[in-house]
Amino acid sequence: MTMDRMLTLGTRGALAVVLVVVALVPVLCTTFFTSQVGLTSLWLGIVAVSLTFLSGYGGMVSLAQTALFGVAGLIAARLSVESGWDPWAAALAGILAATAVGLLFGAVASGSQGIYFLIITLAFAQVTYFYFAAVPTFGAHEGINGVRPPAVLGDPVQDPARMYWFLLVVSVLAFLGLRHVSRTAFGLALQGVRDDPVRMAALGYNVRLHRILGFTLAAPVAGAAGVLSAWSNTRMSAGSISLAIAILVLTTAVIGGLNRLEGAWVGALIYTLCDTYLRGWTDRFTTWLGVVFLVIVLVSPGGVVGLLGSAGSWLRHRLAGGAPPPAAPSTPAPPVPVSSGGAR
Amino acid sequence: MTGAATGPVLRVRGLTRRFGGVVAVGDVALDIAPGERRAVLGPNGAGKSTLFNLVAGADTPTAGSIELFGADVTRLGARQRTRMGLSRTFQTSRLLTGLTVEDNLYLAAIGVSGGRLRLLRTGRDRTAREQARRTAESVGMTDRLATLAGDLSHGEQRQLEIGLALVAEPRMLLLDEPAAGLSRSERQLLTALLLSLDRDVTLLLIEHDMDVALTVAERVTMMHDGVVIVEGTPTEIRADQRVHDLYLGKAHV
Repeated sequence: MTMDRMLTLGTRGALAVVLVVVALVPVLCTTFFTSQVGLTSLWLGIVAVSLTFLSGYGGMVSLAQTALFGVAGLIAARLSVESGWDPWAAALAGILAATAVGLLFGAVASGSQGIYFLIITLAFAQVTYFYFAAVPTFGAHEGINGVRPPAVLGDPVQDPARMYWFLLVVSVLAFLGLRHVSRTAFGLALQGVRDDPVRMAALGYNVRLHRILGFTLAAPVAGAAGVLSAWSNTRMSAGSISLAIAILVLTTAVIGGLNRLEGAWVGALIYTLCDTYLRGWTDRFTTWLGVVFLVIVLVSPGGVVGLLGSAGSWLRHRLAGGAPPPAAPSTPAPPVPVSSGGAR
Repeated sequence: MTGAATGPVLRVRGLTRRFGGVVAVGDVALDIAPGERRAVLGPNGAGKSTLFNLVAGADTPTAGSIELFGADVTRLGARQRTRMGLSRTFQTSRLLTGLTVEDNLYLAAIGVSGGRLRLLRTGRDRTAREQARRTAESVGMTDRLATLAGDLSHGEQRQLEIGLALVAEPRMLLLDEPAAGLSRSERQLLTALLLSLDRDVTLLLIEHDMDVALTVAERVTMMHDGVVIVEGTPTEIRADQRVHDLYLGKAHV
């Protein structure tokens, strides 16, 4: 028991340390790293977590998250660049539009499950991509350039620190918000629908309504990521939501781990690191990226976070089993479990 | 539901379900009084499960009508019937395997009481949680509250299956072969649990196991080839020659 408590405390402490280190990135690392790796990992993590939530808690593997991401990002970019809207107002309009589109997508797709759901959301992703690629209002293939983030967030290229912290705050809020939802009556029922829709209907639940609302709830998260991506890159185009990106988001969520929300950011960081540094070492970049992903998925179906989790419980088991219970009650050697907890 | 107090809880007339050319249930009539314990028996393929699904709202009849608590529910789905106070178990356990026993029971409680879309914690939540724990106690699962339903043993899964049906305090309980796959001692526990149920609950059970069915039930409906062949008390059923030929004769020699 005490061992468990200590490990829990160790885990919490480790999480706090990780968060502090992550928050100090703009201070400790180069501008290039903060902007290239930091900003990208954070917005990619936010769009991926909208999928982790849908898949892990709702059993809905959606390829349409990039479409919602694009709807919000492109509308916000269009309104602020072409129509001269305040960036915050444009962002809000974009996210609301993404939520409305999410409700529509959810209403159509919620009647299907499994592979059919995946295909319908793939169609949404493609339709949205071709729409934005064709419509001149949204810059067609050129996209919209010169997007200015709100002045308080500074210049994302020259001085990305404030933008980075803002993305970090949004990430933490998205994580806490979705985790809260997963523990409410609605969120538990969504997990019930994931486990057995027939049972849930027999218990008095409107299974389809739950799916639609779950999908709609994830939409503003994906939308916020779209706006943040447009702000971080100062541009967005149809290419930002192509099929390749939709699959990238799915891959990110899977390698991070679909069972844990934090996996989204872990997966995003791994991808961004590979994307940034592998390119310099080899011109067979995509092949190596594929190998890295394949190894992660084969070694641990729960992704990197799942791997860390099972390492933690293995350690817990070893420590609990290894400690002689009656003989030595005096010193349970605190430093070992605390530092081992740091692995999670 | 004014008719609930006097009229039958469940009233079935001319109920028919065809699958292509096969008549699974043919022109069945059934009246179940408030508080009654009724068992439907019959060999495999007698149409018990189809009848059960029609009453539960999981299947739609080809012809006939179903009245529940005095209201015509023939065209209503399972969800609406559940909210009216009907509750069912499944022959093969259908549990929310990724959630704890307590969360399973909690969801079953608010499925009927309301607050299914709630995004904040409230006092009603506390009531539902208490209801969940009380039910866990009555089905003997208090020490398993924090266990994932997917990690339970077969017997425990059957216990939870019944708990899920009981937690929302239904007025009518449908049990689909509750003894399926249980050991002898587990069957005795089940029988004791069913006998201890409040008389406010009307019971309709479909059972293969004669011991459980004839101990719990006050009236027994015997089905064969989709039709009711005899209805009576357990004593009458035991004495009936047709039943012996069909069922007991083979099973108990």
